[in-house]
Amino acid sequence: MITTENLGKSFPLGGWFARRPLHAVRDVSISVARGETLGLVGESGSGKSTVGRLMLGLMPATTGRVMFEGQDLATTGAAALRTLRRRLQLVFQDPYASLDPRRAIGAQIADALVIHRLMDKAGRIERVADLLEQVGLAPEHAARYPHQFSGGQRQRIGIARALASGPDFLVADEPVSALDVSVQAQVLALLASLRAQLGLAMLFISHDLPVVRHLCDRVAVMYLGRIMEEGPVREVFANPIHPYTRALLSAAPSLHPERRRARLLLQGDPPSPADPPSGCVFRTRCPIAGPDCATTIPPLTGTSHRVACLKA
Amino acid sequence: MKRLPWTAIAITALIALLALLAPWLGLPNPVTMDVPNRLAGPTAAHWLGQDEFGRDVLTRLIWGARVSLSVAASAAALACVIGTALGITGGYIRGVAEILTLRAIDVLLCFPPLLLALLVVTLLGPGAATLIPVLALVYLPGFTRVAYAGVLTARSQDYVEAMRVLGAGSPRIMLRTILPNIGGPILVQFSLAMAAAVVLESGLSFLGLGVVPPAPSWGLMIAAARATMAQAPLLLLWPCLALTLTVLVMNALCDGLRDAVDPHPTYRPAHRRVLEAIAPGLLPTPKAVLDLRHLTVEIQTQAGPIRPVRDVSLQVFPGETLAIVGESGSGKSVTSLAITGLLPGAARVAQGAAFLDGTDLLRLPEDSLRTLRGDKIAMVFQDPGSSLNPVHRIGAQIAEAIQAHRPVSDTAARSEAIALLRRVGLPDPESRARAYPHELSGGQRQRVMIAIAIANQPRLLIADEPTTALDVTIQAQVLDLLNDLKTERGLALLFITHALPVVAEIADRVAVMYAGEIVETGPTAAVFLTPHHPYTQALLRSAPDEEGPPPEGIQGVVPSPGALPAGCTFAPRCPRAIAACTAAPPALRASGDARLTRCIRWNEP
Amino acid sequence: MSWFLKRLGVSLILIWVAASVVFLAIHLVPGDPAELLLSQGGSAPDKAMVKELRDQLGLNQPLHIQYAQQMWRLLHFDLGRSMQDDSPVSEEIIRRLPRTLELILAAGLMAVLIGIPGGTAAAMRRGSLFDRLTSAIASLALAVPVFVTGTLIVMVFAQWLRLVPAGGFVAFAKDPVQHLILLAMPASAIGLGLSAVMFRMTRAAVLDVMLKDYVRTARAKGVAPRRILVRHVVRTALMPVITVLALYLGTLLGGTVLVEFVFNWPGLSGSLVSAVNARDYPQVVGIVLVISVLFVALNLTVDVIYGLLDPRVRR
Repeated sequence: MITTENLGKSFPLGGWFARRPLHAVRDVSISVARGETLGLVGESGSGKSTVGRLMLGLMPATTGRVMFEGQDLATTGAAALRTLRRRLQLVFQDPYASLDPRRAIGAQIADALVIHRLMDKAGRIERVADLLEQVGLAPEHAARYPHQFSGGQRQRIGIARALASGPDFLVADEPVSALDVSVQAQVLALLASLRAQLGLAMLFISHDLPVVRHLCDRVAVMYLGRIMEEGPVREVFANPIHPYTRALLSAAPSLHPERRRARLLLQGDPPSPADPPSGCVFRTRCPIAGPDCATTIPPLTGTSHRVACLKA
Repeated sequence: MKRLPWTAIAITALIALLALLAPWLGLPNPVTMDVPNRLAGPTAAHWLGQDEFGRDVLTRLIWGARVSLSVAASAAALACVIGTALGITGGYIRGVAEILTLRAIDVLLCFPPLLLALLVVTLLGPGAATLIPVLALVYLPGFTRVAYAGVLTARSQDYVEAMRVLGAGSPRIMLRTILPNIGGPILVQFSLAMAAAVVLESGLSFLGLGVVPPAPSWGLMIAAARATMAQAPLLLLWPCLALTLTVLVMNALCDGLRDAVDPHPTYRPAHRRVLEAIAPGLLPTPKAVLDLRHLTVEIQTQAGPIRPVRDVSLQVFPGETLAIVGESGSGKSVTSLAITGLLPGAARVAQGAAFLDGTDLLRLPEDSLRTLRGDKIAMVFQDPGSSLNPVHRIGAQIAEAIQAHRPVSDTAARSEAIALLRRVGLPDPESRARAYPHELSGGQRQRVMIAIAIANQPRLLIADEPTTALDVTIQAQVLDLLNDLKTERGLALLFITHALPVVAEIADRVAVMYAGEIVETGPTAAVFLTPHHPYTQALLRSAPDEEGPPPEGIQGVVPSPGALPAGCTFAPRCPRAIAACTAAPPALRASGDARLTRCIRWNEP
Repeated sequence: MSWFLKRLGVSLILIWVAASVVFLAIHLVPGDPAELLLSQGGSAPDKAMVKELRDQLGLNQPLHIQYAQQMWRLLHFDLGRSMQDDSPVSEEIIRRLPRTLELILAAGLMAVLIGIPGGTAAAMRRGSLFDRLTSAIASLALAVPVFVTGTLIVMVFAQWLRLVPAGGFVAFAKDPVQHLILLAMPASAIGLGLSAVMFRMTRAAVLDVMLKDYVRTARAKGVAPRRILVRHVVRTALMPVITVLALYLGTLLGGTVLVEFVFNWPGLSGSLVSAVNARDYPQVVGIVLVISVLFVALNLTVDVIYGLLDPRVRR
């Protein structure tokens, strides 16, 4: 349903005299089918949130393109793109910042319906009540203000708002990382049941590997703006090929340390995205890097399980 | 929103009302002269006396308020509308609009305000009609700046982006979403501009460049009374008093509004430590580095005292890691701050004892406690970005910790700092010691914090969510470092976290906290394998693991410390709760080898 | 270094734009300066005289030529001649500017000496009687307009107590003591309000910094309270305070007008007011430009100092 082709995004960096680009995202080609959830994992600065914003057409791509049902978002006019918005929605990370503190939550959920002139007033009230029930809240909550809800409830409200216009594609940007673990599980269960009910395509952005393992069908691993490995969740978790994926999986603390795979501890910090290494961006921390890694950018190869590594 | 400054609002309203109703108060005409009675003192007909032309002073004061306030209000309103519009447009649309509006404002700001006013008065000539655009021009930049800054903050807020995601157009976002959210600061700016405009208007009139005589104005009245100061000093006093009082009230209004609009919590003064000199009837456990007994912390709130930590007891032994795990609001961080005497102002220890190698920390005077902090007890905090002072080099910050406890020369402290940086695995420590915190990555900063913590060979290291702000691969490095240090130096490590997998990785023993109490404690492996308390069981089920079933949440929410349920605090969310659970608060009871559980049904099927 | 050069460039551009704005404002506002100048008696001016004066002032040339000439002159620090007495404007400025600067610096010194220690002390004893009392005094001091303070000082010290003259100026070289007495009165009139501003800024900034995580870190390190105050709190807290002080001193460059008027202090601002009253355009433009340049230069200096104090700003 939604596909990116060699997607890239760079931001200008530096002052007036020494302007150079910061490549936040490079050469990302992924796709999400109807009813499917793609997990996008990576550490801070890997560009995973930027990919989400690009796929919603919230910012223009520098290179490559995003195709939604065969339509290129870049060539869609501003007015048409706004109409398309009702089908592309976003759930935010921070449930405290993503709701306007000065408006009742019912009005905020109804915003999309007003903007796209989808219903009359009575219809909107009914729809808001339905949505609130769908996310596990009561219709009478519509008149309350955000500060009257807990973090988990706010995140439910954020989900209701995203669902109001009946979207087909949902980007969830770290939707549970600001929540306590007992609340996290509730929100994840809600997302999973809504996805099944509504046949949503979803891009689930997260740094939490166990969460991705449970919610997603496929997973893409990003490092410094590039996809390192991509494939079905079971396969990637059971049989990670890229050394970065292996390190990431082994670094994640586990409830059962005794069952853990061999620990692969990475040295040092990720390089700055403003100044990435030549060739393979991971080579500076890679335990198996060779001289050719510095000169060749490894292509993402394979069919259903794709890996970008010269040594794999 | 906090309390509004009602007193200041009321007095301001009263002054404004007097000014507004001046023509209908039955006062004498403010410009009618009565030369024979010039400079006459107060009489029944003229309460405040008569001025140098025999005009009634009280009338002129009230009419002066009318002139001053109307000029100031019109000018502030004009500046507010234009300035805010410019600021919002510049801030939201960016690009050319931003450059045009902001640079225009920068040019205006090249002129000091009074100078700008004088320049415009030169061009347009004096008079009340000129004053309004003059003052508006002077205060315009303030509004633009405030609106622009507000928009920049609001723009990056998720709820503004949410409107864009929903497909809202720019005008809608600017008017419906951004404008209401920057309304507070704009209101404050309006009251500031108005108070300043009253002062500037009277100043210009005082110089003869504002309101033209014989119209009444406080500035003009002061200027005129100066000439007759020797004969009629009171004449000078009245307008000075009126002007000062008005400005004072308006300033109070500004301050009050600013406080009401400010989202930051009000800071409360610190309480003194109130525990009696000796912990009665308590003896520390031998060999335990830290022995915490029955700690209860109380916070004074407007709704009365709350107890975010109740009756917490725990021990940490040398070379051992004890993890306190809990969700937000469980009281785990408050516990650690209470041990070190770093509780924020409104909180105080109400009960308990904390023995560090036999010394009760909670009853030590602050001076003695200070000599222990950073020496025998050290702390690592969650956010390494804000925990290091941005203006000092990291080497100096480590050396400071050394020199706070040992009389070491600067050079020796410096080389020790470098050795510590090397120990915590910072690459190239000699040159990194000269770096500022912002030049390091998050993981490196946390290493620096650890270096500071181990600088004086502490007995106890308290790490409060030390890896929460870090990426997974960096978290693994920092956990390894802490583990190595513990073994190498025989540290007692108190590790506070919300992440169960991290506990499984690092802790020898674990204490699970819920709503201010320890609900279960014991060896980590045993607790995780067969949790006894229903909360621990539910918590473990809600933590996603790679293998195993999908996570399940816990119904309901953590009770707030101001509204704790009767009996067991977990009962309202507990699937196994029975009537006895809500009857009385359960005590911690032994539930197996070195384990304690706060549940009356732990061994029932 | 490039950061400094950039700031310098921006400042120069600002000064150029400001000069252009002043030029345009004078020439685009309705009313012919020559006519205004000649019509001061109230009678309609003679046409021939107006034309002659316009020629003399170069007002008959096209606007862009006038603009180019004006800018060229400014580049050579030539501010033209006063319309009132035909003396060079720059001479008058050079004579009077030091007196105004002296006044501002004295007031600033007073504000620093009273406001910063006072504000720090009040913040350290937050909520105490001392804090409440000093804060109330500061609020009052802030509410009294400077010309009211000035007038009251004259009334009390000169009129009633007869301790000092009501104002005036004596050169330092002539009579240093009298000079300082005469300076002290207007300086304290300004300094009172400025001290209140400093007090409140310092108090708020210190309170703010005391809540920072790195102050907690310093306490956790066991650093002595006095050292925490000096090294961690005051140093960071003073940065915004210094900025505000400098900006206030800048606004005083034009803002001493009232005090100079009240105390008969022959500074630059007094000359500006008389020039404004006389519609002496070259004089007004000259003084405004000089003050603006000083103002911009001051802001630049503040930025540079800020950069030295806070390593995060330099990049």
